[in-house]
Amino acid sequence: MVSSVASERLEAADAPAFEPSGGPPRPAEPGNRRRTLGLPALTLLVGLLVTLALVLVSQSQYTSNENRLLRLRVSDAGAILTTALPGLQSNLASAAELADATNGNVAKFDRFVSPSLGGASPQFRSISLWQVHHLRSGPLTVVGTAPRLAVSASEASAFLARTSANGKLGVIGQLGPPEPRLGYAYAAGRFIVYAETELPPARHARIQKRSAFTGLNDALFLGSTRRPQDLLTTNVAHLPLPGPTASVTVPFGDNSLTLVMSSRVALAGSLPKNLPWIIAVLGALLTAAATLMTLRLTQRRRAAEELAQRLEVSATENRRLYAEQRTIAQTLQHALLPDVLPQGPQLQASARYVAGELGVDVGGDWYDVIELDERRLLLVVGDVSGRGLHAATTMAALRYAIRAYAAQGDAPPAILTKLSRLVSVADTGQLTTILCVLVDTEQRTISVTSAGHLPPLLIDGGVSRYVEGELGLPIGVESGAAYDARRIPLPETGTIVAFTDGLVERRGESIDEGLERARTEAAGDEVELPELLDRLVAAVPGGRGEDDIAILGVRWRT
Amino acid sequence: MENIGPVPGPLASFHITIAPDGSATVRISGELDMSSVDRLEAEVERVLAATPPRLVVDVGSVRFADSSAIAMWVRWSGAVPEFELRDPQPLLRRVISTMGLAERLGVAA
Repeated sequence: MVSSVASERLEAADAPAFEPSGGPPRPAEPGNRRRTLGLPALTLLVGLLVTLALVLVSQSQYTSNENRLLRLRVSDAGAILTTALPGLQSNLASAAELADATNGNVAKFDRFVSPSLGGASPQFRSISLWQVHHLRSGPLTVVGTAPRLAVSASEASAFLARTSANGKLGVIGQLGPPEPRLGYAYAAGRFIVYAETELPPARHARIQKRSAFTGLNDALFLGSTRRPQDLLTTNVAHLPLPGPTASVTVPFGDNSLTLVMSSRVALAGSLPKNLPWIIAVLGALLTAAATLMTLRLTQRRRAAEELAQRLEVSATENRRLYAEQRTIAQTLQHALLPDVLPQGPQLQASARYVAGELGVDVGGDWYDVIELDERRLLLVVGDVSGRGLHAATTMAALRYAIRAYAAQGDAPPAILTKLSRLVSVADTGQLTTILCVLVDTEQRTISVTSAGHLPPLLIDGGVSRYVEGELGLPIGVESGAAYDARRIPLPETGTIVAFTDGLVERRGESIDEGLERARTEAAGDEVELPELLDRLVAAVPGGRGEDDIAILGVRWRT
Repeated sequence: MENIGPVPGPLASFHITIAPDGSATVRISGELDMSSVDRLEAEVERVLAATPPRLVVDVGSVRFADSSAIAMWVRWSGAVPEFELRDPQPLLRRVISTMGLAERLGVAA
């Protein structure tokens, strides 16, 4: 598993995507830049379009609302105009009836109509009485000023004849300068009463002071058209009226009045009028804010993405370096351990080396099997404190020193004493524990010598026990330290297993618990040696621990 | 996922006091392994340079110590006239005795 991961990482390292990106971060690519500006531009566009749509809708709403209000006001004003007519008509009708009843008595007529011409604001300027059948001969009598109608006899007789014929109040404009007037005629039997009222010089009648006209431009025309010569009154200096207009034509006797109006102010108040502007300004501000925010968010997101990308690259690089270092460490470790172990008919050896979780560095554990001769085998298991090249070089030095001393014929206690002179904790900061087990099938003994190392397990006939010897100091504590070997008889068949502390030492657990676990695991029915070692390693709780495990077993049959 | 990144070292803290006579006390707590040992060793190196007459290492609050920590204490014990490893917890004491260092470090097995 570990090696497959390592090789995968190493292969990945060849791909250009995983090349370390040294130096400053690369500048954003043009495509990236476009992507950054795309969203804010879209936000701007959408914001402006929405604002424009809202402005148009509110503007059109405002316009149609104003037009509706204007039409309402015009029709109100038109209704007011017609209210003046009945009073006027009844006055003239009464006078005409009187004349008819008195058979044209001029004196009575004059007396009857005189009040209408007196006072501070007379209703009429001129009242005259005409005979239906003698229109061409002029009026019977005239009260007040001369009627302007009489200036043109043909026009007068045509108008009065028409009035007599249709039986309604006749209305005619005498609108020429210098004093424009409005003429009214009413016929009763053989007589027609004709009266003229003066239009104010500014042609601005008092009806315009009424509330129906406030805030409005108006122009009142006699008849159903808007010809300037038919203009009765207006409150503007020059026609036509400014702005959109609304008009109404109301019947006025046998004639009609046309009222045209436009608004001087917003009829619905200033808010609806200003609403489009308010919407435009607020919409533009909101759009600008949203665009800026989107721009910043987009930029931040892009920065975060770039950062994540760089982190990913460096994490990949880290993993690759880690895997590489681990592979190097394991390669070195294996190079420092024996390749081939003795596999004779009588003696058979097997070993395992399991790197700990922290196995980035090469560890300081080792094992070795030295065939002293055909009948004697020296098993060595050692553990240099610390890790790394420093520990590995000490380990290699000690391992080969042991081989050299053993080749000279030194017994394990002598070998360890000589080793204690080679290294010192004061110089290296390292301690080394070493266990030497000499299996002698000729003398039929097992001798155990320990420099502060954990005891070996002896398995004999399904029973397992530790062979505790005289415990000497670890190598490095004291130069020239003395060591003793403990000798026990060699059973006919049996297995001895030596190991480093990784097999039995766990954080928070007593080393005695670990020792007992390994002993129990080794007891029971005999299994093949490699399987026994595998089982011991597998029994370590929590799988691979922090520490490396070196484990060496020898089985004999004599 | 397999844990293939380096695991951060356990937290260990230490406090050094120097008595008027030059005796030094190093109080250690937490877990000691290679990563924390290096830091601690660098600190204590300066104390050792002044050759204190006595060095007390209080390990009453040390929950775990690996062989590199023990090697460090052995080295200190050889660098001062008087050395005391104070109050090791039972698990630690047992490890020291399995390494044959109980007498050397003045720890009862």
